[in-house]
Amino acid sequence: MHTTDAIITCAALEKHYTRGGETVRVLESIDLSLDRGAFVALMGPSGSGKTTLLNLFAGIDRHTAGSLTVDGHDIAHLSRAALAAWRAACVGYIFQLYHLVPVLTAYENVELPLYLQPLSRRERHRRVSEALDSVGIADRYAHYPRQLSGGQEQRVAIARAIVTQPALLLADEPTGDLDRVAAAGVMDLLAHLHRDRGQTIVMVTHDPATAHHAQRTVFLEKGRLLETPEVRR
Amino acid sequence: MISRAALMGLVTLAWHGLVRRPTRSGLVVAGVTVAVFLFCTVDAMRTGVERATSRASQETALIVYRQNRFCPFTSALPQYYENAIRKIPGVVSVTPVKIVVSNCRASLDVVTFRGVPSEAFAKDHATHASSDAMANWLKRGDSALIGRELADRRRLKAGDRFTAAGVDAYVAGIMESDAPQDQSSAFVHLPFLQEQSKRGSTGGIVTQFDVRISDPTKLDEVALAIDAQFATDQTPTTTRAETAHVARAATDVIALIGFARLLGFAALAAVFALVANAIVLSMRSRQREVSVLQTLGFGGAHLATLVMVEAMLLGSVGGILGAGASYATVALARTAFTMEGVAIAVPPSIAIATLGLVIAITLSLAAGVVPALIAARQSIVAGFRS
Repeated sequence: MHTTDAIITCAALEKHYTRGGETVRVLESIDLSLDRGAFVALMGPSGSGKTTLLNLFAGIDRHTAGSLTVDGHDIAHLSRAALAAWRAACVGYIFQLYHLVPVLTAYENVELPLYLQPLSRRERHRRVSEALDSVGIADRYAHYPRQLSGGQEQRVAIARAIVTQPALLLADEPTGDLDRVAAAGVMDLLAHLHRDRGQTIVMVTHDPATAHHAQRTVFLEKGRLLETPEVRR
Repeated sequence: MISRAALMGLVTLAWHGLVRRPTRSGLVVAGVTVAVFLFCTVDAMRTGVERATSRASQETALIVYRQNRFCPFTSALPQYYENAIRKIPGVVSVTPVKIVVSNCRASLDVVTFRGVPSEAFAKDHATHASSDAMANWLKRGDSALIGRELADRRRLKAGDRFTAAGVDAYVAGIMESDAPQDQSSAFVHLPFLQEQSKRGSTGGIVTQFDVRISDPTKLDEVALAIDAQFATDQTPTTTRAETAHVARAATDVIALIGFARLLGFAALAAVFALVANAIVLSMRSRQREVSVLQTLGFGGAHLATLVMVEAMLLGSVGGILGAGASYATVALARTAFTMEGVAIAVPPSIAIATLGLVIAITLSLAAGVVPALIAARQSIVAGFRS
């Protein structure tokens, strides 16, 4: 287990829930440490618990047992409100289905998380423009999600995730709904963010080609980390 | 605590959410508009009745009517009663009035002729008509001074002739007076109306006496004294304060407005149900959107505020439109109920419009409370699974 400047550390992490009177163990005994500045891929078959683990990292779901520290915060002990504030400051999340707000333009979607920060209008504008520019979508700022292609929507979603300059960028199957060309563009963009900005990225994928962009790949199966093979590049 | 920037963002988001879903928002706003319009208009009617029938502490006006008669057609009093009434202590002035109406029942289009003593009327109403109009009225025996509301309703102007209730009169001018009875009446010379009404032997017969007294605290005392004066006469009288006289004449209308007011309250209940339904359906279809906002860092307070702002905007826009439309309608229509020769004006009121708006916003906010709490407590993961 790595402890040197780890951004995520979890020990004996468990996630259970009850369905129909039966306890379902989604994650069991997860011990993991991810370095700050790393680009990590979480791989595994469907139902292995990849997305659940990512959601725990993002603080959008609570673990049942064990400990989880993200960016120095023991998030199990944060209240609902504190957890929301922490997410706003520390986490950027990219969804497989983009999840842009349909009634907002690309610009307004990217601006959305900045309302939670004490920024002037001018500073918000500067950051949104910079984020849209960095994902190559600056000429589409006034377009609504329905007027964008899947690849463009995902780029806007990435801009929305990075506009707050989060310590941790989490991506759940970011290319899962895209064609090959658009997927390659999105992965190049994530690799660029990691390489040039030192952005920490944890990405869930089931596609080895997509995972190949990551420095490190962690495998999950039936809610457990596989001892091997963990790939490091 | 929500920061100012976050609040502005939530208002912007709520506004965009409503404006860019025009069909849904438009239908809700239309419903709120109609409900608030109905409430404000009914309340304007109620206010008109209340003003006309509530006795003011300084009221000094009495109406002397034929006992057990409830309509100008049947109230016939000898004009010579005037002198006897004038001698009763406390009485300042007595005006014999002959009233002829085109329709004795409650209606929005009644022409009321009021036959009045010429010189006394000209003196009392000198400021309500131009000097030319008043001179013209005094000069011609068949002339009438027309209240503004009646003139507008019948499109009459000075120099016209018009016939109603069997009376044919020449329009000498238009009267500008705030009193509802003046606005919807045609004032003619008393002998002319007595002659024109042609209901048997009408000479020296009037419908009522308008009496002014000096001390408002003695209103009932003077009324009793008047009735006592004629109690054993062939035509005994019933004397009431003017407001009580209007209230008696308007009994049916008061009952109707009381019922209409229930409809107004039902309309407000509809506002609550409409906004609550719209917000609940909206939030149900936007559970993923709520989860996205939560993932971005919006907390329970933010989401509750977002829902409440949406509800408030729906209520505000609908309230402004409904209250504004009601105010404009009442102001432009200059409506007055007339029954048994008594007119009750429906006054436009900023206070009623404001009340309608405040109630619409309050009910909308109340309607948003439960959906706001649901949104604030929604599980992020469950929202994405929905």
